[in-house]
Amino acid sequence: MSSISQDFAPPFKLIAPFFILGGLFYILSTFYIFSFTSSDLYFSNPSVISFTHLFLLGFIMMTIFGAMAQLVPVVLEVGHFGVELFYAIWPLLLIGTLLMVFGFLYSAALLPYGGVVVLIAMMIFVMEIFMTIFKVKKLNLVMSSVLISNTFLFFGIIFGLVMALSYAGTLSFDISALLKAHVYLVIGGYISITIMGLSIVLVPMFTLAHDFSMRPLEIAISLMTLGVVSVVASTLIDIAALSYLGYALSFISLLFYFYIIYVIYRSRPRKENDVYAISLMISYSSLIGSLLLGISYFIVGSEELLLATAWLLFFGFFGFLITGHIYKIIPFLVWFERFSPLVGKQKIPMLADMVPYKSSQAQMIFCAVGVLLVTLAIVTKSDVLINAGASFLVVGAFAFFRSMLYMINFK
Amino acid sequence: MAMYTKEELFLAISTVIDPEVGFNLVEMGLIYDAESDDEGNVKVTMTLSTKACPLHQMIVQWVKESVEKMANIKEVDVEVVWEPVWNITMAADNVKKALAG
Repeated sequence: MSSISQDFAPPFKLIAPFFILGGLFYILSTFYIFSFTSSDLYFSNPSVISFTHLFLLGFIMMTIFGAMAQLVPVVLEVGHFGVELFYAIWPLLLIGTLLMVFGFLYSAALLPYGGVVVLIAMMIFVMEIFMTIFKVKKLNLVMSSVLISNTFLFFGIIFGLVMALSYAGTLSFDISALLKAHVYLVIGGYISITIMGLSIVLVPMFTLAHDFSMRPLEIAISLMTLGVVSVVASTLIDIAALSYLGYALSFISLLFYFYIIYVIYRSRPRKENDVYAISLMISYSSLIGSLLLGISYFIVGSEELLLATAWLLFFGFFGFLITGHIYKIIPFLVWFERFSPLVGKQKIPMLADMVPYKSSQAQMIFCAVGVLLVTLAIVTKSDVLINAGASFLVVGAFAFFRSMLYMINFK
Repeated sequence: MAMYTKEELFLAISTVIDPEVGFNLVEMGLIYDAESDDEGNVKVTMTLSTKACPLHQMIVQWVKESVEKMANIKEVDVEVVWEPVWNITMAADNVKKALAG
């Protein structure tokens, strides 16, 4: 019994480093915001690129990889090919992320090393997922989304490595041309499609929603896939129209995705507004805010609006979706390991009892205010608002880390 | 002649709590049927609120153990079915009310 069950809930000591490091990178990212002034806010600024990698690699990818160690068997309904490989992933991703962050800031010579280490970490991850998928006899829509997203990740990191080598002078490719493909493959192709697939399993699971059509998700994933392919193709064959087609397709894809989430939200029987539910509401509101800012960028054309779009997408949509799910995933894993053997023998806590109320609420409120203030700061180019937003985010990030430690150490 | 009635078996299974929602499986409406023969062989037919439930195997085990605690039980067979698909209308009124906030 225990060996079978462990397929669906890997040992917590395997996953814990991903979450703890992710939380620390979240804190570091919030401190980093203090270093920006309004004049630093442009995409080609190495400091902005460094910050983006600190947050996306250090927090988002680190946490997603940890979560996938538990969620892949749940979604694919088969055990991992080699879950022990995850022991190698986090140290490599940690080293690679630090090398890249410092490389962009201080020495481009570090970038090829960082790029290669990140590449190895992600290749191990992608190959493990592929080998696990091969165990599945018949792929459903969600399983296919895992396959598609990991294929995009595979190509995204190849582009990233070529860029890192070009940045350091080892290769001579046009970085700006590759950037679009790299960003789209990783953010649109991997993160967005992963979120689409997994959330359609997890959100109904936690809200007990049933009887909704999967058709909008099918359309959303198909459009995002076509959008990413269009943007990458435009980079390779230099046809600008393909880029715009890709942007339009991914925009419509996110609308379809939002629609299915809205349907689930409206039909959910479980209506309690706990930290999970509210985090998701903030997350999806940020997605809509981000899409509106994206439209304004195409109308007005100012770089601040594009930066604000990316900021709200990363810290608002991705950030809150991830922190919200952490309040479900960590209690489950700790409960499974520590309390499930005691079922029927003594009184044990429910999963909700393991979530600290005050620090989780503090995280949610401070981070939400911080995200909003920084969005305004980017749009209005206000140094005061940048520092105000960063202050809120630092407090929120510490509250998040405290919540994680509380759940991990719950006895 | 059955050793235990359906109600008696449901009562035993009602000691199993879903740790995510905090309600027992019977009031959640997840236990579809339970029957025993005169020799103490029990068959439980149940479902789960989602196919992707990571506690699938554990919950089945808990249901089995809850019945095995009854006197003179020889064997317990727990079958998980996906038809009819569970939905909230199958839950008891107190569950529906509590979940609705």
